[in-house]
Amino acid sequence: MEGILIACLVLLPMLASPAVYPLRRHSRAWRNHFVRTLPLIELACAAALILFPDAQLTLPGVCGLGLHFAAGSLRTLLVVTACFLWAMTGLNSPAYFAHAEGCNRYYCFWLLTQGALMGVFLAADLFTLFVFFEMMSFTSYVWVVQNETEEALRAGGTYLAVAVIGGMTLLVGLLLLQDLFGTLEISQLRALAEALPAERRTQLYVAGGCCLVGFGAKAGMFPLHIWLPKAHPVAPAPASALLSGILTKSGVFGVLIISRYLFWADLPWNTVVLALGVVTMVLGAVLAVFSIDLKRTLACSSMSQIGFILVGAAMQGYLSGENALAAWGTVLHMLNHSLIKLVLFVSAGVIYVSTHSLNLNDLRGWGRNKPWLKGVFFIGAASIAGVPGFSGYVSKTLLHESIVEYIHLLEHEGLSATAFQAVEWLFLISGGLTAAYMTKLFVAIFVSPRASGLHLGLREYMSRETSVALGLGAAALLGMGLTPGFTMEPLAERAGTFLMADHGHAVHYFTWVNLKGACISLAIGAAVYLLVIRRLLMRRAGSEMEYLDRWPAWLDLENLVYRPVLRGLAFVGAFCARVVSSAGDLMVLIGEKILFTRAPGIFVPKHDENFGIYARKPRRSIVGDTFSFDLMLAGGGLILLLLYLLL
Amino acid sequence: MHRFLTFPILLPILLGIGLLCLQPKSRRVRSSYIMAAVLVTSVLSLSCIALTLLRGEQALACILVSFSESFSISLRIDGASMVYGGIVSVLWPLVTAYALDYMSHEGHENRFFSFWLMAYGVVLGIAYSEDFLSLYLFYELLTLATLPLVMHGMDEKARYAGRQYVVYSLSGASFAFIGMVFLLNYGVGHLNFTYGGVLDPNLIAGHENTLLIVFVAAFFGFGVKAAIFPFYKWLPDASVAPTPVSALLHAVAVVKAGAFAIVRLIYFGFGADFLRGTWAQNVVMAATIVTIVYGSARALRTPHLKRRLAFSTVSNLSYILFSLTLMTPAGLLGGLTHMVYHAFVKITMFCCAGAIIHKSGREYVYELEDCGRVMPVTFATFTISSFALIGLPPLGGFAGKWMIAEGAVASGNPMAYVGIGALILSTLLTTLYLITIVARAYFPVGQLDTAALDRIRDPGWSMKVPLILLTASGVLLALVSDGLIRFLALVSQGVL
Repeated sequence: MEGILIACLVLLPMLASPAVYPLRRHSRAWRNHFVRTLPLIELACAAALILFPDAQLTLPGVCGLGLHFAAGSLRTLLVVTACFLWAMTGLNSPAYFAHAEGCNRYYCFWLLTQGALMGVFLAADLFTLFVFFEMMSFTSYVWVVQNETEEALRAGGTYLAVAVIGGMTLLVGLLLLQDLFGTLEISQLRALAEALPAERRTQLYVAGGCCLVGFGAKAGMFPLHIWLPKAHPVAPAPASALLSGILTKSGVFGVLIISRYLFWADLPWNTVVLALGVVTMVLGAVLAVFSIDLKRTLACSSMSQIGFILVGAAMQGYLSGENALAAWGTVLHMLNHSLIKLVLFVSAGVIYVSTHSLNLNDLRGWGRNKPWLKGVFFIGAASIAGVPGFSGYVSKTLLHESIVEYIHLLEHEGLSATAFQAVEWLFLISGGLTAAYMTKLFVAIFVSPRASGLHLGLREYMSRETSVALGLGAAALLGMGLTPGFTMEPLAERAGTFLMADHGHAVHYFTWVNLKGACISLAIGAAVYLLVIRRLLMRRAGSEMEYLDRWPAWLDLENLVYRPVLRGLAFVGAFCARVVSSAGDLMVLIGEKILFTRAPGIFVPKHDENFGIYARKPRRSIVGDTFSFDLMLAGGGLILLLLYLLL
Repeated sequence: MHRFLTFPILLPILLGIGLLCLQPKSRRVRSSYIMAAVLVTSVLSLSCIALTLLRGEQALACILVSFSESFSISLRIDGASMVYGGIVSVLWPLVTAYALDYMSHEGHENRFFSFWLMAYGVVLGIAYSEDFLSLYLFYELLTLATLPLVMHGMDEKARYAGRQYVVYSLSGASFAFIGMVFLLNYGVGHLNFTYGGVLDPNLIAGHENTLLIVFVAAFFGFGVKAAIFPFYKWLPDASVAPTPVSALLHAVAVVKAGAFAIVRLIYFGFGADFLRGTWAQNVVMAATIVTIVYGSARALRTPHLKRRLAFSTVSNLSYILFSLTLMTPAGLLGGLTHMVYHAFVKITMFCCAGAIIHKSGREYVYELEDCGRVMPVTFATFTISSFALIGLPPLGGFAGKWMIAEGAVASGNPMAYVGIGALILSTLLTTLYLITIVARAYFPVGQLDTAALDRIRDPGWSMKVPLILLTASGVLLALVSDGLIRFLALVSQGVL
């Protein structure tokens, strides 16, 4: 039974995906029904999987080394979340694509990706994880390029490049791990890593570093975040919701596995993860504050939230034995962020379908007369900003508490805690920036006066299914946020066992100690919004306030560093290749001068100069083109033979 | 029963000569004659393999011609033969079915198919030979039998490519010949393939360096057919041949004959233990590493579709050779695995390229914009095979690459780590040069000539069915790889 459930989750969407083509040929309605139902079936399977925390499935001999799946704890939580997101975007997609052509391809790859993602989350060994991770990277590429515009293709190229380079680095890491331990079974890794002799730890660090690059690339960790702000705005909105809501979590999942199972309380490792997490968190928030594109803001926000989660991952390592708060915070923030981004991106999709623009200046005041959307968006925004009473507050408080706890721990031992106080402040400031950019979005779309020339939009701006999807997402956020003790803590406790969290203790979220952090954050947010955004990033144009893009265009890691470096490497490679191949030519040229007269001319076909084998100038590459060289090869062989016979 | 093993080798050769004499005029007669000949040969060959598996190696071993005690042309099937012979016997009928349709627009089919049949017999001869002398004989015959196929077009390009091909191959073989002479002199007195090598430790004492020099010479000699740098040039040029030839001979039969001969040379001739850790190993491994990167880089810079695939073959063959030069059983396993998967994948890609040329006449990558829409089956199979070649799990190429890399890490040789780097780099390049094709076909940019595009169609069923079958078998082989890999592991440990 359990095995069937797992197989169903992984294989059903993959096998069923091609069915969209014949169904669409039958009728659009049938295809749409199929797209709505299949993810619901998956959601039911995922829900049933909760009943089997020890489910396992082994498929020996598939893909070379065999696949091994397991369920339970964090895995089940992520699977359920993912299936929920798929089901909700499934409700929303038909409305979003109502007037689009060629969306069969999107649906097909949408389902393929679901299967692959299930495989990632349910993997019991890193090999299985890698297999599905790679599949997911390639199938989700189609989402990014779905619109086939020039930007989409360019963003798709970036996405693919990061995914492939990350995937290959990950592969190297896994090979090294396989060589170290002889197995990639996740549950065995911790014992094996601890028993590792000291002289082989270097290899462990190299392997871990490779894995971190591979997983971090997918998670959007600095400095591999470059694809995130590019790919999300060009992808269709339901796809952006999934890309940022749950696909990035597969990378985070990997980072968590590596951090917990290979480097349990390893100080250098956790410092690296913490540093990268903090940079990602702050940088993402700053980028989001500057952005004036709705989806780009949300994408940068995703990056920032991933930073929060990575900070949580690192704090678990610092707190080693008493890591419950950090582990819970990490898990819950993953869950919250998925739901929040579902709500926000689907809302963005609704807005885009009506206005065909994502620029905040074009959207000003569009949502003034749309209370349902306004309410839902507000819940999402308040959650991500960590306003007490919404779910994001709970997870952020837990993460904040874990930092505070470690500071206390350090002070208790008489060590300097300056670095971690800095981390705490950066944490609170990032939270403030989050509040600021969400306010910016909310005010622009739902509060400020309507932009001149903006159509009010139809009365029916949103299909019923979409409102259901949005409503369910928002209700989950609100419900969990109001009852953290009943809903979120038990969830976190269950999921925490995967991260080897201890039992922990109930936290009183609505006491002053805990509210203080949120209040500081929100105060910073208000200050940033009023002083920075309203003063520096907006300008009065006539009777209206206008949003300005003040981020310098040249300041772009991809165009500034990665592309030039890659181009430089390509040049160096080509140069080396040319040197190598002309060395042979030189030898032949010398031999020819001494031994042979020039060979008869080479045939150059009259009408086909493009055909590469005929160099226009016969001298350019002599190695392959002359009969004399061939003769010399044969002669050389014979001479050697003769020498041997004589000696 | 005594000479059963000679049937699959001699029968297609005789039938090929028969076709040359008969010169049937009717297409139906010719097609059924060829199809029947190929199918019968495949059945014979596969049943030989099955019989060997059931009865043991010696059951079918036979001597064709005996010159002296140490010199004879003799046949026997062992584990490595089964792998190579099996691949060839499965793929030949499929591509023949494809070729019968394809060749209808190239003309001179009688001549073409008679040499096609002869080549089949010769390739099986390479697979089933028992010693170096027989291997050498069939190896040279293969060059001669496939020359008319390469030069089929008989225009200047084809003649040029053919000349290039024959001179490269024959000179390579002459180097390989030196290796044989030394093996006989320093060996245990015969040239029969023995897992672990035939060198006599007493005789070689003091002459190690001479033998290593000879090994390097012989490696590059056989390496010419496996298109190793700097002797790769004939392969891309030979892509002027009709597509079935490129598909079967220049992606599988001929080039893998080179790789297969190197398996024999390293593991069954000189012996992996003798070579491991010597400078000779480093030299040959360095050459394979250079080829891996060079082939991929050239493929990326080549706009002609078939030539791009040919350069990709150059690179992928060196994956196999790199794995073989690890000189460990794990290396042999990796090499054999990649040999199997690459055969299925690359043959499909060439067949797709052929279908595109056949139906649209477009040969360059930049001409393929939006073709994915008008040729759905061709491009679906091409895309799947591309992903398999990139090594995207769970498709075929991944298992091979994983095995190679695992073997390389386990070997502990510092240069093997460089090799892994090259593999990774080459994978990136592979992604680039294949994805650009696929992406252009599905996501066109720029102005399209819609009228011309709409005239293009998928090829007929006689070409589509082999395409689909090839893709499906490649995918299936990857998904249900357990048995295959266990079998290959037995082969690579010398058990079979």
